[in-house]
Amino acid sequence: MPGLHYASSTQNQRWHTTGISIFRCTVNRIPDTNSLLQKCRLPLGILIHPFKDLNNLPVIQCSTIVRCRACRTYINPFVYFVDAKRWKCNLCYRVNDLPEEFQYDPVSKSYGEPTRRPEIKSATIEFIAPGEYMLRPPQPAVYLFLFDVSQIARDSGYLQVVCDTLKEKLDELPGDARTQVGFICYDAHVHYYLMADGLARPKELTVIDIDDVFLPSPESLLVNLGECRDMILELLTALPRRHSAPGVPVSALGAALQAAYKLMAPTGGRITVFQTCLPNIGPGALQSREDPNSRSSKEVAHLNPASDFYKRLALDCSGAQVAVDLFLLSSQYCDLATLSGMSKFSAGTVYHIPLFRAARSWQAEQLTRMLTRYLTRKIGFEAVMRVRCTKGIAIHTFHGNFFVRSTDLLSLPNVSPDAGFGMQLTIEESMSDLQHVCFQAALLYTSSKGERRIRVHTLALPIATNLTDVLHSADQQCIIGLLSKMAVDRCASASMSEAREALMNVAVDALSAHRLARNLPAGAVSSALHAPASLRLLPLYLLALLKRKAFRTGTSTRLDERVADMCDMKTLPLGQLLRAVYPDLYAVHDLHLHMRHDTHDHNDQQDHDAEHDEEEDDAPDPPRLQLTAERINSNGAYLLDDGSTLMIYVCSNVSPAFLSEVFGVGAHAQLPDEARSLPRLDTPTSRMLHAFIDKLNDDRPYPSGVHILRDTSPSRQLFTERLVDDRVESAFSYYEFLQHVKNQVK
Amino acid sequence: MATYEEFIQQNEDRDGIRFTWNVWPSSRIETTRLVVPLACLYQPLKERPDLPPIQYEPVLCTRNTCRAILNPMCQVDYRAKLWVCNFCFQRNPFPPQYAAISEQHQPAELIPNFSTIEYTITRAQSMPPIFLLVVDTCLDEEELGALQDSLQTSLSLMPQNALVGLITFGRMVQIHELGTEGISKCYVFKGTKDLTAKQIQEQLAIGRVNAPNPQGRPGAPAPMPPAHRFLQPVKQCDMALTDLLGELGRDPWPLGVGKRPLRSSGVALSLAVGLLEVTYPNTGARIMLFLGGPCSQGPGQVVNDELKQPIRSHHDIHKDNAKYMKKAIKHYEALSLRAATNGHSIDIYSCALDQTGLMEMKQCCNSTGGHMVMGDSFNSSLFKQTFQRVFAKDQKGEYKMAFNGSLEVKCSRELKITGAIGSCVSLNVKGPCVSDQEVGMGNTCQWKMCTFTPSTTMAIFFEVVSQQAAPVPAGGRGCVQIITQYQHSSGQRRVRVTTVARNWGDAAVNLHHIAAGFDQEAAAVVMARLVVYRAELEDGPDVLRWLDRMLIRLCQKFGEYGKDDPNSFRLSENFSLYPQFMYHLRRSQFLQVFNNSPDETTFYRHMLMREDLTQSLIMIQPILYSYSFGGPPEPVLLDTSSIQPDRILLMDTFFQILIYHGETIAQWRALRYQDMPEYESFAQLLRAPVDDAQEILQSRFPVPRYIDTEHGGSQARFLLSKVNPSQTHNNMYAYGGAMPIPSADGGAPVLTDDVSLQVFMEHLKKLAVSSTA
Ligand SMILES: [Zn+2]
Ligand SMILES: [Zn+2]
Repeated sequence: MPGLHYASSTQNQRWHTTGISIFRCTVNRIPDTNSLLQKCRLPLGILIHPFKDLNNLPVIQCSTIVRCRACRTYINPFVYFVDAKRWKCNLCYRVNDLPEEFQYDPVSKSYGEPTRRPEIKSATIEFIAPGEYMLRPPQPAVYLFLFDVSQIARDSGYLQVVCDTLKEKLDELPGDARTQVGFICYDAHVHYYLMADGLARPKELTVIDIDDVFLPSPESLLVNLGECRDMILELLTALPRRHSAPGVPVSALGAALQAAYKLMAPTGGRITVFQTCLPNIGPGALQSREDPNSRSSKEVAHLNPASDFYKRLALDCSGAQVAVDLFLLSSQYCDLATLSGMSKFSAGTVYHIPLFRAARSWQAEQLTRMLTRYLTRKIGFEAVMRVRCTKGIAIHTFHGNFFVRSTDLLSLPNVSPDAGFGMQLTIEESMSDLQHVCFQAALLYTSSKGERRIRVHTLALPIATNLTDVLHSADQQCIIGLLSKMAVDRCASASMSEAREALMNVAVDALSAHRLARNLPAGAVSSALHAPASLRLLPLYLLALLKRKAFRTGTSTRLDERVADMCDMKTLPLGQLLRAVYPDLYAVHDLHLHMRHDTHDHNDQQDHDAEHDEEEDDAPDPPRLQLTAERINSNGAYLLDDGSTLMIYVCSNVSPAFLSEVFGVGAHAQLPDEARSLPRLDTPTSRMLHAFIDKLNDDRPYPSGVHILRDTSPSRQLFTERLVDDRVESAFSYYEFLQHVKNQVK
Repeated sequence: MATYEEFIQQNEDRDGIRFTWNVWPSSRIETTRLVVPLACLYQPLKERPDLPPIQYEPVLCTRNTCRAILNPMCQVDYRAKLWVCNFCFQRNPFPPQYAAISEQHQPAELIPNFSTIEYTITRAQSMPPIFLLVVDTCLDEEELGALQDSLQTSLSLMPQNALVGLITFGRMVQIHELGTEGISKCYVFKGTKDLTAKQIQEQLAIGRVNAPNPQGRPGAPAPMPPAHRFLQPVKQCDMALTDLLGELGRDPWPLGVGKRPLRSSGVALSLAVGLLEVTYPNTGARIMLFLGGPCSQGPGQVVNDELKQPIRSHHDIHKDNAKYMKKAIKHYEALSLRAATNGHSIDIYSCALDQTGLMEMKQCCNSTGGHMVMGDSFNSSLFKQTFQRVFAKDQKGEYKMAFNGSLEVKCSRELKITGAIGSCVSLNVKGPCVSDQEVGMGNTCQWKMCTFTPSTTMAIFFEVVSQQAAPVPAGGRGCVQIITQYQHSSGQRRVRVTTVARNWGDAAVNLHHIAAGFDQEAAAVVMARLVVYRAELEDGPDVLRWLDRMLIRLCQKFGEYGKDDPNSFRLSENFSLYPQFMYHLRRSQFLQVFNNSPDETTFYRHMLMREDLTQSLIMIQPILYSYSFGGPPEPVLLDTSSIQPDRILLMDTFFQILIYHGETIAQWRALRYQDMPEYESFAQLLRAPVDDAQEILQSRFPVPRYIDTEHGGSQARFLLSKVNPSQTHNNMYAYGGAMPIPSADGGAPVLTDDVSLQVFMEHLKKLAVSSTA
């Protein structure tokens, strides 16, 4: 059975790419014809993480940005220099003149060597755009926060957490002297906050007429952060108390969004919505569609929006350069399938903490961490992303949150470093005369400092002319990333069962193609399942995917959690997505055996730069384990990392020394059933475990919460259900799944 | 016996009442032949510091259809402890607490001197008054600042237990919460959308204390203490309110070039009325609207926001070219009625250089008794002092204003009530005393007066119903009882009762008895109210013709003359001034509208319809005093002959106090003789009218416009327009438009120029003595 130890990367087959985690293709060698692509039966597509936080991003400011005059491709490392004065476009092959200043190398301050230019040396580069890249003066950073203050919201207590975090991070909001901030609360009414000159303190303006919502003031509802800092702080201090008394069981989210749009439309910016319940009054009011009795049924209803209100609103927002991010802190069904429209089409993001209660400190902490990252991370405004491909290849479907403005252009009112995108490709013409295929993504955005910038990523992949080469170059992680997005679409356009069926068929198809490549006779039964190394993990990942909340059946799954998972599938960058699909499992009772000086193959750390690693020289580096109970020994302790939670599972027979060094208890029975924090003890083992956790947390947008479970805890299934290799309720075990695939492969 | 003059004065002093006729004709037909209707002017709250405090409830006649109150005119049988109602002759037992009464020991209400008496109903719930400020913010900085100052000052002038609320408006309307801690809060409404009281109640989640909670309805906020968020005792919220008023900014919406601000007075007022309607129905409350311009959008709009479109003039109205007028009037009339029904009054303080739509809004004040104040600027002393005077107190230190009142009239069987004219609305209470005829607001014996002051005066009209065949027994007297219930500013419920009686006379036999009881001043004021009331309903010329016809008929009836001999015409002394009053009335701004804006006309008429007799007479015929070195100031004829070079004139038109320096005086003043010690007497002469003017300015409400002018000064026109142009027959002092004197048959006018009093009188005599009339 192929296991994780086969999971070595196939990157050495990649001819030349930009940073692996920015741009990935499902195959690292592109089939030269559509018929070859059809034969290999793999999806063709690319995943991109265009605004990823980067440490060594070359940024250049020049008077002319060198681009192909025919197809507007930016000059890149994969162009051909015809001579010292001319270059040939690698996407359309037009020969272009090289401007004089391109001869100058700003680093060495020397002339005559265009290949030393940063544009040629780096596949990812950022330009500070000159005036012609602006349709209007770059917009200021504008942040509008929408707070649900209905009864359920008050009960949840989220507002205190959010306001506290906002207060703390106010000065870290990306922006400049022009940055503006505003707040709207809503329950049965819409409450605006006026922070005008001449007011001693903020003033609440309440509009009752939610069916015909309007701005109660032409000014001072969005205010300059620097000038009104004290008043904003006062408001954030006052808001939670103000909305703590018993409220009303209604939430006029739709009206509040309309109000927010009116407020933001003149500038553009970011709307952040905190919603805790089903919006049930005014425009965009929804009715509960979830039947709790059918949470585990085979077919899943109501995955499509109940109303196009939120989509239409998002499209309006998108047109006005406004993105809407949704924090769904629900304690009951909120119809995320409908609400998520506000973010999907406005290039926003959906964040979901189910059953949120601020009184549960770990949830409050999770929200704080989430928000801290959200508020302080980089942000790009009024962005567009254009993806160009070598002639012969075409994009036919985009995945992610955006509005498709034209076939190759996405509107991204906001772009975040945590957003990923996917594109399905078709081969429209034979490319057999080509050496390689190029993709270039250019993200034009306004920085929070009001600079117009263009970030350009270029990827070049060689052409393959035979099936074997293609199959061996497959990037199974990228395939899973793309498949998960396609499956989400399939759920919406067809049905859950069709989507699941299609996922299972991918494994069969890919392995059938391999069988074809190996020239095995059709119908000949083989006792073994053959797969190239590049595809060996595909069945495992597919099985894990089928067990995700998004696609699982037979297990009770709340509709909103399912939809939230689907939203993640569509937007998470690949690394995070993979960890969510197939979590990382480590044994942590013997970390001392895996300190860094142990030379261990370490494949997930490619883009960590050198100095980063040095800082963590004392962090252990244990191997990942298969997600199966077979790997769980009763004398061990295990850490399961799914990207959002670090679950530590402590088995009954773990050594008392470990218990006392890590938890400060003498016996297993002294551990609580569940705990949400790990004590920091002055013991080597505790230090090691914390160092390990810190290291894990380091490569994600914000630290994950710790969840400690005893193997005798009533909640132990929270851990065991993640062991996707094993059979869970009605779902296949990995072994069964492989048998199933094997039977289907022809 | 005293003269009628003394009798009238006594009655006015004691009962605040003046009848047009003090001897009543005993038959219907004779009454109608008197031309001037039988009516009274009554001040329900006339200041009577001498009244004893009565802390018990009045004793009522037990007859259900009567319910008159025990009064000094009732016959009392002290032994049987019975009293006979002087209206229905029902014999009523005294209640048990009257067991001790005797001829020597009478309760106050039986003492003849207390024909007017006031009861305090101690068992009634005491409610503090409510002041709801409705403030226009479409003002420039200076105006707004001045208004803010005045409003802040007013907080200290209000009764400290009064509830106060704040609504501001511009393009939007804001209802401010007063109870919130920390961050203040207001509700914002579009200025273009009206809300019903029910919507206000539901959306603001407010209601009466005893109203059931609107629970279970989705969207209904949790029940809050009713209205406490919006109306709070002054002493509790005055800090918060002071802050709010201090922070009040100008309406922030940008103003386009050539545009008026979008001003939502119509909706603001509607919300104010609705707020009080749902929270404090039938409780004394005063909406105080501060208005700096015309309503330019939404319900109640009187003009659009294009500056190039001026607000309607009398000519536009005349030509039916006032686009917004009818709809706006309908809006404000509906609001007025709602407010009045709930006992709430509406004041309008309009300060602007142009009109603000008072004409459309007039019923708000007229129906509810609210003040209408018209000024140029909130920064003027006219506004500031007038506004402070709203909170004036009497000698006892009690607020002069009364709230949520009703006035009921009862009368003897020979009389019926035909109606009333004043700042009130009909309560539509029919009764045996109510006539089928209607004069003013009729078909009722009760009227609502939402707020009123000691000067508030009602005109009440009667008819005699006895037929000639059944004359009133000689020596019999007819009675009228007026019962005014109101909420005193202290919160107490009070009842004031005035009972008066007049002798019957047989006009057929003794017309001179009846003529002797004619009160020409009361008659002039009553006729002024009648004619203005008509003028509000119909167009000008017919109204003037009617007034002239009435005058001619009165002269025919009561003049002494030989047929067709104008020179023989005489009127007795108590009729002699009446034609002059009519002369000045017909050329006054009340009836000649074209030199004024509709708003000005509205304001002038508003004052005439509510002020007491003395003030009303000043409005009809201004008073002129002359100052000279020759002696103390003396009243002089309102005539061009009074304008002399060496005189200073002081004219009081009620609305204006004008000091006019004659040509010589003006020259001396320009040479500053008054500053030279040797001309101290000149300085004194200059000072005398100024001091006298100050005295008037100090006491009048609203504060009059003060004008200091001189011979040749542009503002001298105000004087010239008022005086009788005795020295010319041409239009040298042309005033207004046509001044038609009708021919005897009420036909075509005979003169088109502004005529002098002399010419007017000549025509009058000619017509009165004409045998063809
Ligand atoms: Zn090109
Ligand atoms: Zn009676």
